[in-house]
Amino acid sequence: MSQLREPAFDRAVALVLRIGAFSCFFIMLAGLMVGLFLTGRIPLAIERFGVLLMLATPVVRVAVACFLFFREKDYRYGWVSLGLLTILLLGSVFGLGEH
Amino acid sequence: MVTILLVVLGFFAGLLGALTGIGGGVLLTPILALHFGIPIRQAIGTSLVAVITTSAASSSVHLQRHTTDIRLGMTLELATSFGAAVTAYLVGYFNRSALEGLFAGFLLYSAIVILVRRGKISGDDDSSSAVNGEIVIPPYEPQRYPLGLAASLLAGGLSGLLGIGGGPIKVPVMFIFMNVPLMVATATSNFMIGVTAAASAIVYYRRGDILVQYAAPLAVGVFLGSLLGARLAPRIHTKVVMYLLVAIMFYLSGHMFLHLLRWL
Repeated sequence: MSQLREPAFDRAVALVLRIGAFSCFFIMLAGLMVGLFLTGRIPLAIERFGVLLMLATPVVRVAVACFLFFREKDYRYGWVSLGLLTILLLGSVFGLGEH
Repeated sequence: MVTILLVVLGFFAGLLGALTGIGGGVLLTPILALHFGIPIRQAIGTSLVAVITTSAASSSVHLQRHTTDIRLGMTLELATSFGAAVTAYLVGYFNRSALEGLFAGFLLYSAIVILVRRGKISGDDDSSSAVNGEIVIPPYEPQRYPLGLAASLLAGGLSGLLGIGGGPIKVPVMFIFMNVPLMVATATSNFMIGVTAAASAIVYYRRGDILVQYAAPLAVGVFLGSLLGARLAPRIHTKVVMYLLVAIMFYLSGHMFLHLLRWL
């Protein structure tokens, strides 16, 4: 039995990635455009927001999949996603203060 | 001016990545380190942002073709992201020359592997067939999860260490040992790269190893390049592009080894 062929699930996850990639692209582009006219903190802050959103996109993708698995009562993969979220969040804790 | 150069650089890395399946990270990191004078650790962190961008853009395409095994991918992601987060953390204690040496060695190794295989594992030439434009994948059940998880841990560890996707490890393992069709293995590996790279990128970011003023123009270019590449891919002779990529990889690895010699 193939584990594939769940068009709705695939589409939901694809949508998260697409929204993330496109909005980051436009935010970073806006940052670059502003940077043509202004120097200093403002364009950099916009670019930083875009970069952070890009880092958050895969995390949101895992969270959405987690929600969908639990809603489908597919608990095994729901817990897998939850474990994955934990690893991602722990990384942000342990990365602290190592300059 | 540097910004425009970075957008163009990202564009070509994204284009090559989409055409060959070899992500931009493996090219962008050495170029940032060698030609922009960025310390290798920051070069890795910065190109990780481009790697996530490529994965998000391309795997949304694969997902819509329903060739991604989300359950298998997320199970293996447990191992890749754990490995990636751990090595990303450890990289903070590595010295610069060791990291450059590792990277140069990895570049050389990948270039040789691609040359030997002549790009056979690219996901185009396998048993899956297209009927009426619909992709038909034979039924399968992934096997040997422990082996798959171990390989994923290694791939993730390398990803966190060097800022690369790790496709050359995951795709053959899923295809050969886990009984997954090549097309699914390629799409699933691509799908996994985003979360794996994010796991290490979060650690790099918190350490201050992602240079936003470089990452943003690169990501903008990579996004445009991979969109164009995905459209061009069916119409372009991949082999020529593959040799071009190998040539660039040999050059970058040689340059990096020479750069290392200066420090000895």
